[in-house]
Amino acid sequence: MESIGSSLETQFPCREAAIGILNELIGDSKEAYPAAIYLFGHSGTGKTALTRAFLKKCAKNQNVRVAHLNAIECYTTKIMLEILLDSLAPEQKDSLKVDNMLDFVEQLRRWHGASGTESQGFLIAVDNAERLRDMDANVLPVLLRLQQLTSLNLCVILLSQLPFEKFYNKTGLSEVISLHLAQYNKAETQRILGSDFAHVRNQLLEQFADDNKRLEICKEAVTEEFYNNYLNLFLSVFYKACRDVPELQLTAKKCLSIYLEPVLDGTLDATDISRLWRHIAGPLRSALTQIYMRIEKPPEETEDFASIEDQSVRKLAQSLELPYYAKFLLIAAFLASHNAANQDKRLFVKHHGKQRKRMQTVNAKAKTSDKMSTTLGPKSFSIDRLLAIFYAILEEKVGLTCNLLSQISTLVHLKLLSFVSGEQNIMDGSARLQCTIGLEFVLQIGKVVGFNVRQYLCDFM
Amino acid sequence: MDPTISVSKGCFVYKNGATRAGKKAAGKRKRPAPGSSSLLGQEVVQQPFYAEYRRAWNQVNDHIADLQHRSYARTLEHLVDFVVGQGQRASQDEVLPTAALLTGINQPDHLSQFTALTQRLHAQKAARVCVLQSRDCATLKAAVESLVFGLVEDDAGEEDIDDDEEEEVADRDRKRLRRSQCTMKQLKSWYANNFHSERKPQLVIILPDFECFAASVLQDLILILSAHCGTLPFVLVLGVATAMTAVHGTLPYHVSSKIRLRVFQTQAAPTGLNEVLERVLLSPKYAFHLSGKTFKFLTHIFLYYDFSIHGFIQGFKYCLMEHFFGGNAFALCTDYSKALGRIKQLTHDDMETIRRLPSFRPYVEQINDCKRIIAVLTDDDYLKKKLPQLLRDCLLHFLLFRSSLEFLTELVGDLPRCPLGKLRRELYVNCLNKAVITSPEYKECVQMLSFLSKDEFVSKVSRCLERTEQFLTDEIAALELGEACRAVLRPQLESIRKSVDDVVKATMSTTTTSPIEGRPTPDHLTQVGSRQELKEQLLQRSKEDKNRLQQNTCTTHFARALQKTLQLIGTHLIQGHLRPLQDAPPIHELFVFSDIATVRRNIIGAPRAALHTALNNPHFYMQCKCCELQDQSQLVGTLPDLSVVYKLHLECGRMINLFDWLQAFRSVVSGSDNEEGNQEQIDPQIQARFTRAVAELQFLGYIKMSKRKTDHATRLTW
Repeated sequence: MESIGSSLETQFPCREAAIGILNELIGDSKEAYPAAIYLFGHSGTGKTALTRAFLKKCAKNQNVRVAHLNAIECYTTKIMLEILLDSLAPEQKDSLKVDNMLDFVEQLRRWHGASGTESQGFLIAVDNAERLRDMDANVLPVLLRLQQLTSLNLCVILLSQLPFEKFYNKTGLSEVISLHLAQYNKAETQRILGSDFAHVRNQLLEQFADDNKRLEICKEAVTEEFYNNYLNLFLSVFYKACRDVPELQLTAKKCLSIYLEPVLDGTLDATDISRLWRHIAGPLRSALTQIYMRIEKPPEETEDFASIEDQSVRKLAQSLELPYYAKFLLIAAFLASHNAANQDKRLFVKHHGKQRKRMQTVNAKAKTSDKMSTTLGPKSFSIDRLLAIFYAILEEKVGLTCNLLSQISTLVHLKLLSFVSGEQNIMDGSARLQCTIGLEFVLQIGKVVGFNVRQYLCDFM
Repeated sequence: MDPTISVSKGCFVYKNGATRAGKKAAGKRKRPAPGSSSLLGQEVVQQPFYAEYRRAWNQVNDHIADLQHRSYARTLEHLVDFVVGQGQRASQDEVLPTAALLTGINQPDHLSQFTALTQRLHAQKAARVCVLQSRDCATLKAAVESLVFGLVEDDAGEEDIDDDEEEEVADRDRKRLRRSQCTMKQLKSWYANNFHSERKPQLVIILPDFECFAASVLQDLILILSAHCGTLPFVLVLGVATAMTAVHGTLPYHVSSKIRLRVFQTQAAPTGLNEVLERVLLSPKYAFHLSGKTFKFLTHIFLYYDFSIHGFIQGFKYCLMEHFFGGNAFALCTDYSKALGRIKQLTHDDMETIRRLPSFRPYVEQINDCKRIIAVLTDDDYLKKKLPQLLRDCLLHFLLFRSSLEFLTELVGDLPRCPLGKLRRELYVNCLNKAVITSPEYKECVQMLSFLSKDEFVSKVSRCLERTEQFLTDEIAALELGEACRAVLRPQLESIRKSVDDVVKATMSTTTTSPIEGRPTPDHLTQVGSRQELKEQLLQRSKEDKNRLQQNTCTTHFARALQKTLQLIGTHLIQGHLRPLQDAPPIHELFVFSDIATVRRNIIGAPRAALHTALNNPHFYMQCKCCELQDQSQLVGTLPDLSVVYKLHLECGRMINLFDWLQAFRSVVSGSDNEEGNQEQIDPQIQARFTRAVAELQFLGYIKMSKRKTDHATRLTW
């Protein structure tokens, strides 16, 4: 049964060792499977893809019954069991009903007794296995001992990003075979990315199919070496930040067109790497800031990384549309969150009396930056205090109306404020809120409405 | 009714051909005849004022709906294209296509937008749509169940053309469907059963209020959807109220890498409002107008409180109702010809309503014939004869006002610092509220205009003229009194144009004729009483000198021509037409709604103030004899117990001693007669009343029993 391993090795470069081990463990359905295999590694290291391909091969070549499921989907045990039974069931008939683990194990046992299944293998793969810990207490132990319980030739493969130690609980678990998929190093990553060169080239040629001149240049310039050079440059920027291969693949594809642009225009030679580098460095760096974000531009707009990434705090605060009073409420909330309540009188009342200077206060005033309340994070405040500060900082007089009060809940909905406690009893005044926005943001909002926030912060007095 | 063949006693349901109470049947049944749909009785519905109100409201509402539909249209088209485009696209592996619609705050408004999207998608038969509210998604289980349920149940698109057979399949599916059965597995089999190879609609899931979702539920939901992307063509639409950072803040990398995000921007709420205001409320088509204050009040609520266009429109509707509810006389607030028809129907009472209008009095006073005055005031028929002219004057005034506003907007809208306001709505409010010509802001504007260079000034004024002409042909000409309005305005505009031509021709040379000031300049300082007075007089003199100097220096031909033009504009347009409301023609109240106090009281809720009034002065609401108070702070034993307790607690500080409170309560309730009689013994009945009142006060949230100090209550309000 060497075929499974060898055919997968071309599909998954740099995973030869793992494929070899898997092949030894579950490569042959005639031999006894281990009870459970635990496959772990970071995201983007090929756990799921590898397992899926492996199971598919097994099902095709050796008529093994396989099930692949995602633990996130299984918000109840019943759903998980039904999915498992559906994909493991010997023939397609009406879906079997199971309500609990006992029924499930019984059902599997019945298959054991049935004819023709003695030699058959069963493989179950569970993605995001860490979620199994939060499910019913019996799920994880049963899955790990399923072979023993059903006396079928059955193996459960758990896939997760965590090491198996994190699964231990009080009652203990039976031992599993752990298999770690390490992250790819830089050379391996480049090899993997480079492996789809033919595909990329074909795509490019297709893209320029109707533009003869470009097609010619493209044909000539895009060689394996050119592509590898590009990947080298690309990884020199990205490898430090991201090792998720699919993500890298996607971003590399996006940036390639920019890299290729001057070559296609005829302004630069395909071999002039240093100048090509100078051209691509900027776009690559800006692409780095929005990796994983997957913001897609409509086809009519050209790829323009700078415009999307113009989301500085300043811009954000100015673009956020809020009614006038809501802005003041937000500022009041920020002030309430970042000033001590006993300072309110000094800050907001006109005749607050003289403050006596004592050595103690002077010493206390000499604040170091880690004592600053703006850096310590927001404190909670009550709605009464919020409204009091709101009225103090607003010059005009406004009534305390429903419209005003409903703004508070709007701000909570927008997640600019959040409840700390007492969300249930807003009525008796014990609910406490917190302001979740930062200093920079609130300064910008203050600027929009013409209010100097800094002046009212104890930290800056 | 057939008798049953049952031998047992019981209740039996006869279906009598009734169909299942499905969505369709309910939809058809719920369409009663238009007249009876109103809450109001026939006697109100048939009144002319009600008919006129309905007509006006429908007209405005349709106009707004049409306008909003058009402004949504562009974004919606893109969005629909995006959704439909996902169908043609070969689905990539486990990447969920997602559209983020940046809607701006106030989410209730946006539901209508999403409904429009749903309708469009249904119309194209391209998708099944499920609107998933955050309140349905407290847990992942609930979220998936309502998602699947929504998608399976959503069959608005199928209703019309589908053949029976397929509908039956859907019916059968639906009958089998229970909430607990709604799982992804079920959805998959349903999709495979109902949609065969040729016609595969997208499954669109709309989350209108992205921010309100719990982050963990949302993450799991997206992971599940993306896992099923290969077999079920999901498209996710997020309504984001704040900004894209909210999306990136909620979704961690391993989730956000599972979606393919496209951002769509919708129109900002203030722009939407401006559009509604300028195109609809300020349109010369409608006879109904809001006074400057009311107009400002409604826009104020919008800009300062909630950004809700829907709320604004409802406020406007309220004004409309309030206006027409004034009586049948207000039915005249309509087109000229229709109003003429209505005059005949007016009764004596309606005529009295008209006579009682505040602007009717100046009209009567300016008649200098005694007999005619008496006729106007007493003879209904005489007044009815006079009415058409009055109505015509009024309507014409508003048209002229509106046209001149167009001129003024162009003239002063882009001046630095915008003293009079930048937008048409601000200018409208300013012009209606006060006499603009005398206001300092207008003077500032005139000054700035006179500082303009020749080219700038000429081009500006000719732009104004063009704009006004344009407005006259586009909007006014089609109206009934349009021709009259144009006839009035045209010569005035013509004279302004001529004067502009003069400006063009004028040279910069200075004329020698400096104006000889006629005003008497005091040669010597009149009796100076004190140092202060002397200083003032000197200051005044120097100011006058400066003024004179300025006037002298700018008397070039150009400057004079320019001044003349500005003066023409001032007298003809601004003084003549942009008159404040109090100078408007008689009976303009029939067309302008200005009762701001009622609107304010009724559309802005002030719960705390209302509660305070109710407790402090129960007479205000109860209208009973026993609770009449001379003074707000007065305490009378006949007040309700709760009110007495409330008033007593107002006098206390933060902590209230219950015993003292009880004593005070007793002395108020039982009067001061038996004060020294039984100091120690408190009537249990009074104590019970007191306890109950305190409990009620606590229930209302004014106090809380203190845990720190025994027998004390804490005040919670100030």
